[in-house]
Amino acid sequence: MNEFNLVLQLLQQMCIFLVIAYLLSKTPLFIPLMQTNLHTPHKLLCFFVFSMFCIMGTYLSLDIDGSIANTRAIGAVLGGLFGGPIIGLLVGLTGGIHRYFLGGMTAESCMLATILAGLIGGIIHKKLIDKGRVNRLYNPIIVASIVAIVEGLQMAIILLIAKPYPDAIHLVKNIAAPMILANSIGAAMFMRILLDRRAMFEKYTTAFSTRALKIAASTEGILRQGFNAENSMKVAQIIYHELDLGAVAITDREKLLAFIGIGDDHHLIGTPISSVHTWQALKSSEVEYADGINIPYQCSINKNCRLGSTLVIPLKGENQTIIGTIKLYEAKNKLFSSMNRTLGEGIASLLAAQILAGQNEHYKQLLTETEIKLLHAQVNPHFLFNALNTLVAVIRKNDEQACKLVQNMSTFFRKNLKRPDKVVSLKDELEHIDAYLQIEKARFMDRLQVEIKASPQYLSLQLPAFSLQPLVENAIKHGTANLLEVGKITINIHHANSNLLIDVEDNAGLYQENKKDNQGLGMSLVHKRIQACYGEDYGMSVECKPSCYTRIRLTLPINQDHLC
Amino acid sequence: MLNVIIIDDEPLARENLRILLEKDSNINILAEVNNAIEGIHAIHHLHPDVIFLDIQMPRINGIEMLSMIDPQYFPHVVFITAYDEYAIKAFEEQAFDYLMKPIDPARLNKTLQRLHQHHSPQNLTKLITNETFKYIPCIGHSKIYLLNANEIYYVCSKVTGVSVFNSNNIEYFSELTLRTLEERTNLVRCHRQYLVNIGQLKEINFSKEGQTEIILTNDVAIPVSRRYLKILKELLQL
Repeated sequence: MNEFNLVLQLLQQMCIFLVIAYLLSKTPLFIPLMQTNLHTPHKLLCFFVFSMFCIMGTYLSLDIDGSIANTRAIGAVLGGLFGGPIIGLLVGLTGGIHRYFLGGMTAESCMLATILAGLIGGIIHKKLIDKGRVNRLYNPIIVASIVAIVEGLQMAIILLIAKPYPDAIHLVKNIAAPMILANSIGAAMFMRILLDRRAMFEKYTTAFSTRALKIAASTEGILRQGFNAENSMKVAQIIYHELDLGAVAITDREKLLAFIGIGDDHHLIGTPISSVHTWQALKSSEVEYADGINIPYQCSINKNCRLGSTLVIPLKGENQTIIGTIKLYEAKNKLFSSMNRTLGEGIASLLAAQILAGQNEHYKQLLTETEIKLLHAQVNPHFLFNALNTLVAVIRKNDEQACKLVQNMSTFFRKNLKRPDKVVSLKDELEHIDAYLQIEKARFMDRLQVEIKASPQYLSLQLPAFSLQPLVENAIKHGTANLLEVGKITINIHHANSNLLIDVEDNAGLYQENKKDNQGLGMSLVHKRIQACYGEDYGMSVECKPSCYTRIRLTLPINQDHLC
Repeated sequence: MLNVIIIDDEPLARENLRILLEKDSNINILAEVNNAIEGIHAIHHLHPDVIFLDIQMPRINGIEMLSMIDPQYFPHVVFITAYDEYAIKAFEEQAFDYLMKPIDPARLNKTLQRLHQHHSPQNLTKLITNETFKYIPCIGHSKIYLLNANEIYYVCSKVTGVSVFNSNNIEYFSELTLRTLEERTNLVRCHRQYLVNIGQLKEINFSKEGQTEIILTNDVAIPVSRRYLKILKELLQL
């Protein structure tokens, strides 16, 4: 009965340890403890924590008929198990020496046993790690067994060393069973608490990853379509709801693009950036964190703003330049969770990548447009120099014709350069090619005949600019210029059903498909632009009867309601 | 005195050059022609010292034209171009004479001075291919044709010039010499005056008088001379 009481009392004592273990698990200290490769500061921490356990175990011991039942061994064993042989030995030494100075019959034997306990814990730590069985290290049953063995060992040492011997026997008889039982159960429970805590922590990190992935998935592609107020707001809403923050804001380099949450009455979209933290983040490219405690935070717009802390993360664009910031806020009565801080930074780099991708796409598109513009402005050098050569001859012969030719050239080049609008009237387009053809007529003289059939009703119809010129140029280049006989070019504008048809025909019949010169590119661009404008039913088609004619036809809608 | 021919398809371009050339009293313009076929004809008949040759011309460009000229009449060539990056690069590399349109009189004078001083032979081999002709430029029925070389049945050299015949035995006139055609097509010499497409050979007739004839698949008979019969037999593995 006495022994049973002792067990209970020891377990009561253990409760104190368990409470400490619980509290410890609530602090960030426990995370490093659960890792096998400890850095020196963590090793020191380990040493202090478990030395304390040892000392407390000794102080809280129960005096039973002059013998002291205690829970000191747990500290030493755990110290060794967590910290390795050296830490184990140190903990054992500390606990042991402390016990020694308390004196008594078992002073030496207890000291020795405690040192041994630490050492055994440490050796087992090393053995298990060497064998790669880290999980066993934290297994409560194994821990309980080790403690049981160590306690057994202590009893043996007491029997061997403590004097007088009969007293030692008496003591061991009294305390052996309760101590072995209580200490192993206590050590196992201690370990269990830490394990549970670790499981919880893992759950937490899983939740963290899940949330991060969820935000990543739901914001995917939004900012790719452009870093503007509308898209920023969509992203801010997602982050606000997922992270459960006080408020979320997104800015560019000058103004607020999006704001959602507390204070949206005075944090108005479109207003210039006023927060010093934001300016600092934009300037330094570093994350700015005003926690409201160490670094005070006060809303720069409204003194009564309930926001109490802010995290400003710069958004890095191309070449690490800062294109804006994302700002997370918490209310005055709430603390920033470290999870939200980390997530915030992750989200910022995610968003920055998206913006960058979007910009790249935009540049690509711009490039295509520029390509078209370049092709437009690009005068075929053959044409240019031949025209100038013609001009030299005409100047010599005929002043008046030379003047006309220069006029035609001016018209042609002006129209080539000045085409800001994408759609022009057929009249305008015909004027452009007329100027072109006049120059070519002067060059080829009687080798070129042109006929344009266009009744006035069609002249106001619209078509993408530069649709006709490439076709006519092609007819000259592969038609007239390649004919030994007279080259005839016919431009015929007519309609069939609800389609406007523009035919450019030469009498050479030398069309070759897939000509990948500049000319061919210009023609395929005409086709693409018409299709992009009016749909797949429209575009360019080619009909060629070798040695007879090549007819290139543009098909456009005559009903111009659905203009591009 | 240099005899020159201008070959350019644009009348005003020819005129520009002519006016500039006329300023040099040591230049004699033999002819101005407006395409490659006329150019070949003029070179073969007029034997100019120098030709001013536009590169961009209909159907057969200037460089293609050069490959069709009989080497024995090959003139010195001055190239003319409005704009041709690749050709100009080649001319620069080979140090050929070339002029750009509109022609700079000073530059032309330099060229002419060089031409007057010495006739260093031009080596145009890098520019001219030795490939077989795909098409043979011909004149017929007051039109110009590019006949597919494989569709020619036989070629005959007459006093008037070289005639080319197709499967229907229709006659076209070619400015190319028999020798050029022999070298640059698959046609085979069977007579001093004839080339034949042996792909179209139906039979060889040996007459009593010692005359030999080739009968083609279109039943046209072509004389074979004794001198070429041996070569022909070897070729046909007879």
